[in-house]
Amino acid sequence: MKKQLLAAAAVVCSMGMLLSGCGSSGSNASDKNVITAFNSEPQNLLIPGNTNESGGARAGTLLFAELVSFDAKGNPSNEVAKSIQDNANSTEYNITLKPGWKFSDGTPVTAKSFTKAWSYIANAKNAQKCSSFFSTIQGYDDLQAKTLKGDEQLSGLKVTGDDSFTVTMSKPDATFPIKVGYLAFAPLPESFYKNPKAFGNKPVGNGPYKLESWTHNTEIRLVRNKAYHGNVKPKNDGVTFKIYTKVDSAYSDVQGGNLDVIDTIPTADTKSFTTDSNIQPYNQPGSVMQMFTIPSDLPHFVSGTEEGTLRRQAISKAIDRGSIIKKVLNGTGMQPVDFTSPMTPGFSKDLKGKDNLVYNAKEAKDLWAKADAISKDTDKFTISYNTDGGNKAIYDAIVNSIHNTLGIDAGTDPMPTFQEFRDSVDDRKVKGGFRSGWQPDYPSPENYLFQEFDSSAAHGNGSNDGDYQNPKFDELMTQAYAAPSTDAANKIYAQSQEILLNDLPAIPLYYDNAHGATAKGVKGLVADWENLPLYSQLHK
Amino acid sequence: MGKYLLRRILQMIPVVLGTTLLVYALVFALPGDPVKAMFGDKPINAAVAAQIRAEYNLDKPFIIQYLLFLKNALTLNFGNTFAGQPVISEIGRAFPVTIKLALMAFVFEAVFGVVFGIISGLKKGKWYDSVILIVSLLLISVPTFVTGFLGQYFLGVKWHILPVTAGSDPGFLDLLMPAMVLGSVSMAYIIRLTRSEVSSNIAEDYVRTARAKGMSNSSVIMRHVLRNSLIPVVTYLGQDLGALMSGAMISETIFNVHGIGFLTYQSILKGESNMVVSIVTLLTLIFVVCNLLVDMLYAALDPRIRYA
Repeated sequence: MKKQLLAAAAVVCSMGMLLSGCGSSGSNASDKNVITAFNSEPQNLLIPGNTNESGGARAGTLLFAELVSFDAKGNPSNEVAKSIQDNANSTEYNITLKPGWKFSDGTPVTAKSFTKAWSYIANAKNAQKCSSFFSTIQGYDDLQAKTLKGDEQLSGLKVTGDDSFTVTMSKPDATFPIKVGYLAFAPLPESFYKNPKAFGNKPVGNGPYKLESWTHNTEIRLVRNKAYHGNVKPKNDGVTFKIYTKVDSAYSDVQGGNLDVIDTIPTADTKSFTTDSNIQPYNQPGSVMQMFTIPSDLPHFVSGTEEGTLRRQAISKAIDRGSIIKKVLNGTGMQPVDFTSPMTPGFSKDLKGKDNLVYNAKEAKDLWAKADAISKDTDKFTISYNTDGGNKAIYDAIVNSIHNTLGIDAGTDPMPTFQEFRDSVDDRKVKGGFRSGWQPDYPSPENYLFQEFDSSAAHGNGSNDGDYQNPKFDELMTQAYAAPSTDAANKIYAQSQEILLNDLPAIPLYYDNAHGATAKGVKGLVADWENLPLYSQLHK
Repeated sequence: MGKYLLRRILQMIPVVLGTTLLVYALVFALPGDPVKAMFGDKPINAAVAAQIRAEYNLDKPFIIQYLLFLKNALTLNFGNTFAGQPVISEIGRAFPVTIKLALMAFVFEAVFGVVFGIISGLKKGKWYDSVILIVSLLLISVPTFVTGFLGQYFLGVKWHILPVTAGSDPGFLDLLMPAMVLGSVSMAYIIRLTRSEVSSNIAEDYVRTARAKGMSNSSVIMRHVLRNSLIPVVTYLGQDLGALMSGAMISETIFNVHGIGFLTYQSILKGESNMVVSIVTLLTLIFVVCNLLVDMLYAALDPRIRYA
């Protein structure tokens, strides 16, 4: 009987061991006005110049304050900068800083905090992912050489005093005063250079929040930075980002009241989330542009030829965007009228050629027939996309719409992962259209248009993956860069879009709405131009 | 026994080497370039990309990468993740969580599996036997993620009985639902296994002999029926402990448990070969050790195996 007693004792012991774990359950007890928010694990250490994806950006933008800040609509105003003055043709900027700014470790924010940080990020030796944002500053090319030590400085940056510096551009850049509001342009304290890795694990910034702790793959805790007196007026005592791999579980947590805010909705729940009584949903115009690119050298679709243009317009008019947005996206998108977004300063609803983005079966057929009269196209038309992002239903609907309207052979060419998909696009292996979305880094039409369609960004030198080249468009880009003011530049960008609306290097599909949910009892939700909630404004 | 143990331990070396090579090759063969993916849709700076590749040895041929990994692993240096974290410390953080979850699932499936199995086996044909059989069939046929989502929705969102997800630093209650979901399929198998063993052993000659000798019913069942019936159950449980450790991936992602499965899922998505291979090596070791323990337990339960 001894053995059975032992076995029974063992079972009792192990149960006891497990039960004793009870005490530590949950961590959301005492912190009343701390907001918990959905996030994914940042891809990299939290260094502003190395953060180019949402996992890091959600936390990074709260930790650092840049020269300018943007309001929810994307309008800039000075933050650390007292003034940013340019010479007449946007080739040189004089920047002065407001006095009294400090990092959360107590050291002052000086002109050098900016110039040294920018040079560090631009320097290829330091392998910072946002390096190319500094490409218009003089001396950038020298910092892309093979043999560098890592501490070489951008020759275009000159410190003229403790709180002033000048920036000389290698070419005119009218967007520069907006770009400097992007996270990569944040100042860095001296302690960063001593040990960038240690800094990235526990960043010291000058933003509205400071990092309390970062348990990798688990959570990032931010608390109010008392030394901050900038444009942001936080309404809570802290933001704790909880790390998830699956949006579904985060959404269930918001429903169950375990998580305060999520800035995305699982595809399966887009239909029900606006009427779900367990949560407070939001769904409003956003800044992400979803489209698909047709490579400019695709047979029968060659850019700039009459046949190519006719076919592109026919395809675009054959897509019933309205019903796709309603039925597949359940209203979490908007019909596009341009190549930027309604959240972009300078946005216009009345561009010439916007009709090309409206479903019209009859015209689509006519255009296709006209193109066939020039040269008959019997190839199958395919669109590639990555299936790991939940795009299947949308692309199936699009090719169906094209097939039904034009009566041509159309289908999808799905690829299992984003990595694989990007590889095929980069190597120009896709023989058909392919998914291309654009999330802006800073609120300017330049960020959409130049990056995606200028000749200098084609052939692997940027994000012009369709290798679209149009000298007239390039000319307008150059003009916009040299424009005397942001408003003047925006007018030129509007003009350039009319070229795109005719040529259709890519077919705009919809603007992604800013949509998500907060748990019951959470107040103060405002979604900003980045489709993210303004975390600082949430409170309980 | 000592010789046997030594032989089994030496056998582990080629198993571990072979697994790491295989897994390294598989991760290496994954389509897509992790460095390009880091840039997303944004422009890639060629000089920066080259710098990152060099830092993680991604610019070297496969076999060199693997040998470098092995060389470092022998000195217990498993490299860094793309986020600059030592792989070993990430695993060190995630592992205890998975152990906790797996042990809870293990206790759940062992206790309930064996108890219900014995009841069913002894009372074959009664109504509760039928109920147990039907429930276990359901549990076997419904995939884990379905049970997971159902549990999450009803117990968590609707009725607020248990936490929806486990989150960071999970306690007993946080892990209860994930553990039950994780253990439910194996529990169903154990019920069925125990039931068939018990019901067949109870008809054996030696049971009749024992009864004829005048032994009480409970000691017949405890000493003769159960002891023999539990051999295949223990085999199953032993192997299942290894499977629980690695198979926690689905429950961990559904319930946001920050354990090994969660980490593996993330690492595969990011193409972090060092992390994936390190985890798989560890899991291989656990599997092999569990198998060894099962074989030892065999010997303890059945003297014939001990003396053979």
